[in-house]
Amino acid sequence: MVLSSLLRATMDWTLIATVVLYALGLLHSLFGFCQKRQIFVKLALGFVASGFLFHTIFLLQLGFGRRHFPITNLPESLCFFAWCISLTFMVANWQYRINVLGAFILPLVSLLTIGSQFIWEENHSIPSGLRSGWVYFHSSVAFLAYAAFFLTFVSGIMYLVQENDLKEKKFRFFYFRLPSLQVCDELQKRSLFVGFVAMSLTIVSGSIWAQQAWGRFWNWDPKETATLITWAIYLVLLNYRLSAKWSGRRAAYISIIGFISILFTFGVNWGLHRYI
Amino acid sequence: MFNFFLAGLNHRTAKLDVRQMAAFNSDQMSAGLDRLSASPGILESMILSTCNRVEILVKADEQTDGVELIETFLSDHSQIPLPQIKPKLYSYIDEPAIRHLFRVASSLDSMVLGEPQILGQVKSCYSAAVESGTVGTYLNSLLQSAFRTAKRVRTETSIGEYPVSVSSAAIELVRKIFGDLGKKSILVVGAGKMGEAALRYLSDMGAHSLYLTNRNPETAREMAEQFAALAVPFADLREWIFRTDIVFTSTGASETLIDYPMVHQIMHDRKNAPLVFIDISVPRNVDPKVGTINNVFCYDIDDLQAVVEANLHERVKAAAAAEKIVEHEVQVFCAKLKSFNVAPVMMQVQGRIEEICKMELHRCLKKIGPQEPKQIQELESMISRIAGKIAHPLLVKLRDSHDSVNSAAYMDLINQIIKSPKDRE
Repeated sequence: MVLSSLLRATMDWTLIATVVLYALGLLHSLFGFCQKRQIFVKLALGFVASGFLFHTIFLLQLGFGRRHFPITNLPESLCFFAWCISLTFMVANWQYRINVLGAFILPLVSLLTIGSQFIWEENHSIPSGLRSGWVYFHSSVAFLAYAAFFLTFVSGIMYLVQENDLKEKKFRFFYFRLPSLQVCDELQKRSLFVGFVAMSLTIVSGSIWAQQAWGRFWNWDPKETATLITWAIYLVLLNYRLSAKWSGRRAAYISIIGFISILFTFGVNWGLHRYI
Repeated sequence: MFNFFLAGLNHRTAKLDVRQMAAFNSDQMSAGLDRLSASPGILESMILSTCNRVEILVKADEQTDGVELIETFLSDHSQIPLPQIKPKLYSYIDEPAIRHLFRVASSLDSMVLGEPQILGQVKSCYSAAVESGTVGTYLNSLLQSAFRTAKRVRTETSIGEYPVSVSSAAIELVRKIFGDLGKKSILVVGAGKMGEAALRYLSDMGAHSLYLTNRNPETAREMAEQFAALAVPFADLREWIFRTDIVFTSTGASETLIDYPMVHQIMHDRKNAPLVFIDISVPRNVDPKVGTINNVFCYDIDDLQAVVEANLHERVKAAAAAEKIVEHEVQVFCAKLKSFNVAPVMMQVQGRIEEICKMELHRCLKKIGPQEPKQIQELESMISRIAGKIAHPLLVKLRDSHDSVNSAAYMDLINQIIKSPKDRE
């Protein structure tokens, strides 16, 4: 109890620390990207890792303060989404040491964290009748899936740019900075896999929740439909990747289409999902 | 002010034959250093001799013109008359000399900008000078600063990151596609000189699965043994391209060995797994059109040259940051030198004050007649205390102000004040 009240008292400060550290991480990433200086990339990683720590504490504080998992309205969700992207960024960096990744991913993390504060609201937008453990699980895996697919998208873009430079023999800015095609491709494959599993879990848990709330597993509500389409796009991509026909460029194109579909899915909040 | 003199010639000022005549090989080095340090007025010296430059660096005393001395010395050594060698020589004094040395050590003055060998060469020339005993406090401290500068340039800028040889550019390209080379299999087509160089380079770079094919199987077998590669029959070229990821071609064949339909079919068979061709033969062995096939990357010698150009361009950009580091280190070192220069002045100040006090004591003793030894002792200790109390604040001020802007003016003033009466007249 002492701990939780202490957590709540220092909430503003953890938020400020999070935002400042992410912003510093972003700045150093961009600087490291342009200047190609290893030291900035390392500093950026340090800042983001500390920012992530404070972000985690902030989410805990939020959770303790409101006595529920902080994912029940738009700002909370955006904040949690930023946390998921930050998490995937660090895992990817730890796995592949891609120096330039921060310059691509951190702008969104910073934007989401700061943006969520501008539209901050305290209400619990989920009707009390619908509150159950499933809602928290359902929404968190959904955001994890979005974050992983964002990484798939970013690695697809990096692949396309690098492949184009290599094919056109343009040995310029991006050629020097982007990782090898192999690394882009592996990152794409892995994040796709994680994202796909998370998205499948989202759909399954959503159906179970729907069954409890409305008595039906599937209601063809717009968001459900959009999710299904997105899921299908990624299923095609996954199938394409797993089948032997290996073409990074085509896979990269699909990952971009998939991400556009995600943006659409994220935006569709009417019908049964209107309270988000 | 510091009496550092540097003069010499390099690839920009002198042709290879002149550089060779002026160069010091390892046998001539110590004799050269001995002769140099025996010259009047030379306090410390060092010879930097590489295939691209011969430079002499000395610390001389106040009266000596180091540049003239070095020019004569180089003319004697190279046996090129002074009027002929002089136009090829550049010279720097004090701060510019320090800057030049730092730039040389940091590879900013090299023929290939940023090449890493020069630092090692400077180091070994320095060790030779240390062994010959021609290096003292000043050159030691100067060279340590040069080494630190070079290290900073290497770690803090990306000047050394971009390979500028054709072979390393090829490896860089392959790495941009495959990342790690270790897990990929590589086929070398052609067991000529270029093929051998490619094999050696690839095995040095950590390539594991190397295959070699040649029209003449005997040559291929012999060369393959040398590099732990596997010789494969030339007739099965298509099959082996299918099995490998990277193909280096360097044959003397005047026709295209690998054409579009062949690669198209291979790509279909290998289910689109990426394939890289590095074609260093002239005329080309690989039809450049294969590069348009999905997941096929094809580079010829001109493309590799373009990578080298691009890399050199990046090095030039990094050099701008390196110059800043050099400039900073030059300033730091000059400030340090100035503080070196303070030490003798401090001694002089203290000595002069004691001298005045002792003079006054003797004058006084003459006036008041003979005294007890104990009283003389007392008086002597008193004047040395007075001398100390006058000197101390001056010395403290001098020591603390060595890096400030006014230190030179301040030292000048002190020098004038403490000049003995004889000097003043």
